[in-house]
Amino acid sequence: MSADPPSRPESADLTDAPELATAPGGSVAVADVAAGPGKRRYRVGSLEVLCAILVIALVGQGNLVSWLDAPMLRTGATVFVAVCVQALPFLVLGVLISGAIAAFVSGKVLERLLPRRQALAVPVAGLAGVALPTCECAAVPVARRLMRQGVPTSVALAFLLTAPAINPVVLVATSVAFPNNQGMVLARLLGSLATALVMGWLWARFGKAEWIIERALRRLPEPDGRSRWRMFFETARADLVDAGGFLVLGGLIAATLNVAVPRHWVDALGQQVVLGVVVLAVLALLLALCSEADAFVAASISGMPLLPKLVFLVVGPAVDVKLFALQAGTFGRSFAVRFAPATFVVAVVCAVLSGLLVFGGAG
Amino acid sequence: MRRETQNILLVLVGGALLKISLNGTYLQYVKPSHRYWLIGGGLVMVLLAGISIARELFARAPHEHDDGDHEGHDHSARSAWLLILPVLTIFLIAPPALGADSVRADASNRAATTLSSGADDRMLFSPLPAGDPLPVKLSDFAARAAWDSGNSLDNRRVRLTGFVVVDGQNTYLARLSITCCAADALPVRVRLDGPRTTGYQNDTWLNVTGTLRPGSATEDDDYVPTLSATELTKIHQPEDPYEH
Repeated sequence: MSADPPSRPESADLTDAPELATAPGGSVAVADVAAGPGKRRYRVGSLEVLCAILVIALVGQGNLVSWLDAPMLRTGATVFVAVCVQALPFLVLGVLISGAIAAFVSGKVLERLLPRRQALAVPVAGLAGVALPTCECAAVPVARRLMRQGVPTSVALAFLLTAPAINPVVLVATSVAFPNNQGMVLARLLGSLATALVMGWLWARFGKAEWIIERALRRLPEPDGRSRWRMFFETARADLVDAGGFLVLGGLIAATLNVAVPRHWVDALGQQVVLGVVVLAVLALLLALCSEADAFVAASISGMPLLPKLVFLVVGPAVDVKLFALQAGTFGRSFAVRFAPATFVVAVVCAVLSGLLVFGGAG
Repeated sequence: MRRETQNILLVLVGGALLKISLNGTYLQYVKPSHRYWLIGGGLVMVLLAGISIARELFARAPHEHDDGDHEGHDHSARSAWLLILPVLTIFLIAPPALGADSVRADASNRAATTLSSGADDRMLFSPLPAGDPLPVKLSDFAARAAWDSGNSLDNRRVRLTGFVVVDGQNTYLARLSITCCAADALPVRVRLDGPRTTGYQNDTWLNVTGTLRPGSATEDDDYVPTLSATELTKIHQPEDPYEH
């Protein structure tokens, strides 16, 4: 049945013993008994906790609204809902693609599609990312699914980094946001592609499989004809539940920082290129904007050379707080604490080099 | 977390997305074209949860490898509890569109800056259509006032729509411009000048008719134009509170 034993018996009442869910016919009563093996005593399950939260929230609605009446909190709540509402449909698209790959694309097909040598497969996957014109939230479940279907981790990571950064929608938005600096589009494309390739190759050379939590890599049995659709729906559902919470966590952090980080001091940086690069790289990390919108935000910063703005555009889709939460949840914390800082450094370097190449200077 | 609870959470989140997309409040958070993504995403969430619930209700006996994929319950998906936060925020708090607080927190006319050349140079904007008074977007008005080398706003009566921001002695008409969602909102403001421009509360929505005061919107006033307002009418908040 289940791979890992219930290791925390004392918390089983809240988090559920693994065997519960494999009894689909089980009613609430059956499940409650199962939570404490052998015990007939009534235990509080997650369903009861959910009901309690809903009732308390409904009763306390008036208080809740009045607590949130401070301007910062009001703005924060609006931004939080906006980030969640913006990203959730893309996550849904991502889990549908993930489910479809799990159910209908066998690992053998993927192996045949990709070059045998990892060094070559990384750029192929990087370019494949261009075909998924969505925000980064869709790419995370798809990348994990690719790993579980036996695609090398380095290749899946290259896909993860390019999908949000250099798809057609993002490039058009960048072109609209910088009408007089079309070099920005090329520089962004080069910088983001280079980031993805370098990270893919770095992982192929130095990455260790044990950094990624085991369940993110576990191969699935090949489904037979009848169970394919069932597998599609269940995989998509499970991926959604899995990633959804971390997306919300990321949205919460991003909304807090969005309100807390004042924008106006960015204007004071003026022509200082090096400081501008550092500050805008960190800002991209903290604000967690969607890749279709970041070009407009970058363009709105007046009096700054193009190079720091380019760094903002290359770093943002590759690594930010929302993405970090999502990656920590999907691939495990020990992956995220290595991958995110490495991506940050690589993205900044690639953006600067690409900018120097395209603009011939700070721009 | 048990599967039943996960499914109920998914139904709630999907329901929240459907609710705001159908009753129009989604416009306080995201751009108009996101509506179809919201409806699709909400429906898929409810559908995925519904299929899972139906299978659990109608499955006769549990058998091994029932789901093919066990990741949903191999481990306790405690993070899924966080999904309740957007649900509660949407259903119970229903946060309003961003307004005067956000504009006061950021003094520069960013939404206009994105329409400029990026440098501080003036450039030629396309000519304005006919109309008197001519309805103009606030960000367009501020950008033309500051950077149009063709001076297309000179001697033109315009009608602007926005909300009031009182900052110090001045009354401003302001608006936020979004690309994707409220997280990327950029403010734009126009100073109101005229006999009846005081005494308004923050976040009061107005239609204002007037003309650009020549010589405003320069570096000295941070490129914030001044409108000599002749007519101010209180209105309800527009269905879409943002410019795009």
